[in-house]
Amino acid sequence: MALTFCLRGAAFAFAAALIAAPAFADGSQVAQVKTASGAASVMRDGKASAVKPGDALYEKDTLQTGADGSIGITFTDDSVLSLGPNSEAALSQYNFDSSNFKGTMLTDLRKGTASMVSGDIARSSPSAMKVRTPTATLAVRGTSFAIQVGQ
Amino acid sequence: MRWLAALLLAATLAACSTPRQDLFVVLPNPDGSAGAVTVEDGKNSVLLDKPYAASEVRGGTAAPVAVDAGQVQQIFGSAIAARPILPAHFRLYFISDSDTLTPASQQQYQDVFADIKRRPVYEVEVIGHTDTLGDKTYNQQLSLRRAQAIRERLVKDGLTGASISVAGRGQLDLAVKTADQVSEPRNRRVEITVR
Repeated sequence: MALTFCLRGAAFAFAAALIAAPAFADGSQVAQVKTASGAASVMRDGKASAVKPGDALYEKDTLQTGADGSIGITFTDDSVLSLGPNSEAALSQYNFDSSNFKGTMLTDLRKGTASMVSGDIARSSPSAMKVRTPTATLAVRGTSFAIQVGQ
Repeated sequence: MRWLAALLLAATLAACSTPRQDLFVVLPNPDGSAGAVTVEDGKNSVLLDKPYAASEVRGGTAAPVAVDAGQVQQIFGSAIAARPILPAHFRLYFISDSDTLTPASQQQYQDVFADIKRRPVYEVEVIGHTDTLGDKTYNQQLSLRRAQAIRERLVKDGLTGASISVAGRGQLDLAVKTADQVSEPRNRRVEITVR
């Protein structure tokens, strides 16, 4: 039963990735910065730069906050991610097809605290939205949640 | 019996003395609906399916743990405070074969405008639609005109045009399924996403 479920989930995710692949091949915007305070930056192509509300974010970007920092972003599927201080999160994989509301996303929370509210991608299949920490993986089915990595 | 209690105590203490690696908590959904997350550590899977259900990982192993709203605020307060205003969705309806809003939607336009206006930065998508009355190609153009009319009005009211995108879907995405050549007020609309 569990195996069937996993296989079915994997098949869904694979199919969704195939279908939606062209949507992000051109490196289009995946999210926008909505809130930023204190030390808040984005690491892109090996270079870190400060972020401000309104900035566009792309797949593979890594968000970082300092001791007094926080940042909040909204993805194109309506998912929302916000980070507390001393945090780091990578937008490792993201693709979303706005014509059928399907896609997949994987966010890597490497340290600190994050809160998320899921959007259309989490509704498209049970394993479409994932958050990974150094020790575990979270699969999201339509909800609001928070994660802390380390103490 | 006593040795079993001692063993359990030892196991519990060992688990607690191992530093916590991760903490996962389901938060109450802003819209009141119920969702779930599953935490996988590679061996175990822990399902969290109600508000404040939580799991922690110690020594690479995920297990349920009790947390309350106060602890959540203490640990995640800054992250939650940085959360953007959640996206909102609106539908505005039009008079047949025109890009003029119905009287009711004229009123609701003000809600849309107010929702966008309260956001420090915003992205707006306006997608126009028609019913199935008339020619498909004409309806495609009409749906785009509807979206453009809303965009023009938002810009006239002071919003930034560069943050408002438009598209027309003609009669391809009916809100209410009908046969061809059917006048249906609920299909004559724009769908607006505000982020």
